[in-house]
Amino acid sequence: MTQLALQQYLIVGAIMFALGLIGFMTRRNLIVMFLSTELMFQGVTVNLIAFGHYHNNLYGQAFTIFVLVVAAAEASLALGLVVLLFRTKNTLDADAWRELKG
Amino acid sequence: MDFALQYPYLIPLLPLIGAIIAGFFGARFLKGQSHWPIWLGVGAAAVLSLTLLVHALGLHEEPLKFSYTWFQWIKLGGSADGALGQPGKSFLVNFGYYFDPLTSVMLAVVCGIGFFITVFAAGYMKGEGGYYRFFAYLGLFIFMMTNLVMGENLIMLYLGWEGVGLCSYLLIGYYYDKPAAREAAKKAFLVNRIGDFGFALGIMLCFSAFGTVSYFGDPAVAGDGLLEMAAAGNLTEYQTCALTFIPFLLMVGAFGKSAQFPLYVWLPDAMEGPTPVSALIHAATMVTAGIYMIARCGSLFVGNEAAMITVAAVGAFTAIFAGFIALRQFDLKKVFAYSTVSQLGFMFVGVGVLAPVAAVFHLVTHAFFKALLFLSSGVVMHAMNGILDLRQMSGLKEVLPKTRWLMLIGCLALAGMVPFSGFFSKDEIIHAAEHGALHGHIGRLILTVVLLATAFMTAYYTFRLYFRVFEGPLKVPEAPADAHGHGGHGHDDHGHGGHDSHGHGDHGHHNHEPMIMIAPLAVLAVGALLAGFLNWPVHGLGHFLGESESFKLAYKVASARFAELDPVPMGQPSSEAHGLVNAVMVISFVIAALGIFTAYVFHLKDRALADRKAAGMPAVTSLLDGKFWVDEIFIAGIVEPLRMFGKVLWNIDKYLVDGIVAAVGWTPQLGGWVLKLGVQRGSLQGYAAAMLFGVVVILVLVFM
Repeated sequence: MTQLALQQYLIVGAIMFALGLIGFMTRRNLIVMFLSTELMFQGVTVNLIAFGHYHNNLYGQAFTIFVLVVAAAEASLALGLVVLLFRTKNTLDADAWRELKG
Repeated sequence: MDFALQYPYLIPLLPLIGAIIAGFFGARFLKGQSHWPIWLGVGAAAVLSLTLLVHALGLHEEPLKFSYTWFQWIKLGGSADGALGQPGKSFLVNFGYYFDPLTSVMLAVVCGIGFFITVFAAGYMKGEGGYYRFFAYLGLFIFMMTNLVMGENLIMLYLGWEGVGLCSYLLIGYYYDKPAAREAAKKAFLVNRIGDFGFALGIMLCFSAFGTVSYFGDPAVAGDGLLEMAAAGNLTEYQTCALTFIPFLLMVGAFGKSAQFPLYVWLPDAMEGPTPVSALIHAATMVTAGIYMIARCGSLFVGNEAAMITVAAVGAFTAIFAGFIALRQFDLKKVFAYSTVSQLGFMFVGVGVLAPVAAVFHLVTHAFFKALLFLSSGVVMHAMNGILDLRQMSGLKEVLPKTRWLMLIGCLALAGMVPFSGFFSKDEIIHAAEHGALHGHIGRLILTVVLLATAFMTAYYTFRLYFRVFEGPLKVPEAPADAHGHGGHGHDDHGHGGHDSHGHGDHGHHNHEPMIMIAPLAVLAVGALLAGFLNWPVHGLGHFLGESESFKLAYKVASARFAELDPVPMGQPSSEAHGLVNAVMVISFVIAALGIFTAYVFHLKDRALADRKAAGMPAVTSLLDGKFWVDEIFIAGIVEPLRMFGKVLWNIDKYLVDGIVAAVGWTPQLGGWVLKLGVQRGSLQGYAAAMLFGVVVILVLVFM
């Protein structure tokens, strides 16, 4: 893989990360915010795999597998929480939970 | 007999083991049988002490002089510059014991009388909460007291000294749920601290001047002991100078422990403790430690005329002062407490007028009769449900016939009636005061008059108590008030169906005089009756004590210092013949008889007469009832200013020091609070934006 090809991969990853970030910052829906964080994750993992391929080793891919596993576990937990929050207030608006500030 | 000399450490060790067993296994296992380890331990110690005494008595050609080192306790220094002590001498303290006639007499008193009091206590304390605790403390006390009298150096003495102080504190505060008992315990401890401070300084000065604290040093080396060096002629200038201060410092300790003016205030309050404790610690043994110390360290004292005059003067003043207060006390134990203070004053006069034999003699007889009197009043208190006010009782000889005779013996001994023990010992002190070589004519006259006046008052207040309580028409206190807190402690559940139960209308069928309480009293009564013959008509005790190295050295110092010194009161043989009966004896007999007669007139013949007379002298009675307001003066003059000072310091600490510390703590808290208002608003997106902003800042900082 050339440096040019690496750059293109990194740009894709960065775009995915930026989209996720923007989504997280702008949307109020808890599920959409959650999806946005997943998108940021994937942006990062694209970078990892690109670097792994560039350096011709498997570290990036191995690390990505870990990220996916943790993300899956986290997703199940987070979705469960979101369901609970929704049942309590009948809304998915993140601002409804402002009183949780410490 | 050699057994006691072979294993002398058993004497303190056995009571300690008993105390440990009673203390650790008493609550769970022994319970009401907790007295057994103490009985056995103290009993064995008493047997050993008596064999030691017999051994010492049997060796008349070669006086008992034996030291035993258990182990080396403290070894410090050894510096060559001589900054502390003599050049090259280290501070060396052996955990060791020294036996001579003085030790053996003291041991016999401590363990012997101590044993009978523990027997009595098992009957008296039956059913009390914390029974095991009481006996564990008693065992610990005997351990400490034997260390005090057996120790071969001043540090051992100090160990025992502090130890008995601790036990005294614990036992005065035995009824710790009673505020008065707690206060009394604290008072005893704190007042004793004042004395002990002086005592500790005295020991330090001894070491600083002589380089050792051992009385007689290494038995293999001649003349290396503290007392021997003080008696030797070749004192350095520093040592001579130190010897002018050492007696005064040691004396302060003796005044605290032996309850002399003005440090006597703790002893009357100490009567809050159980009665056997009053008898053992606060009459017979611990409070005489000061007398023992001065008798033991005679060669440090007798060369210093000012110190001896101070001892005699303080003793005489305390004797008459406490005698006055005792005149108007209504609590049996308080009367005996002030009487103890007064009698201790007599003993101090004894050592002060160079008559240590007379002082120790009085110590021994006083231990017998005062223990007897305290324990008898314990029986009265027991029978009267804790009431000790002699205004509320009368004619108890019908209810307590045996106690009445025992109490009568004790009272006659205390009053100084022929031929009871107190007569001989008290007379010997008065005789020594009148004859002493130390004080001028005026001083001797004042001492003698003060002592005779005190003897009169002693006879009066003793028989005032006796006539009020035991004679006259029968009257027992009605309500079982717990004026002394013992009433409610379950006294009534003992002695049922006893051996010689006698039913009295008011008091049901209780046996108020169980054997376990009467038998020890009978033994003490025999002592109170006969102990006087120890030193009369022949000076048996005097000769015996005189063989003690301490007495010999003291005589050596005193005879070099004073020309016309009577050797007999110092236990040394005299060339002059002494008559069996002297003028003082006749006078003190007449005075005791007069005192008893006065008490008879006022308190048996016409009891209202005393009150009428008292009403005629309101100033005097209020002065005596207020106990000369010594406690109040102490509180106003010392306690309250100290408390105010403490309050000021406490407020400085609370508001200034703590304020600064707290302010330092508040600063970050305040900062956090301000930041929280601006940043932490609960908006998820807001947090994300802040995080992003932070990341951007870091990136900018890193890459630009």
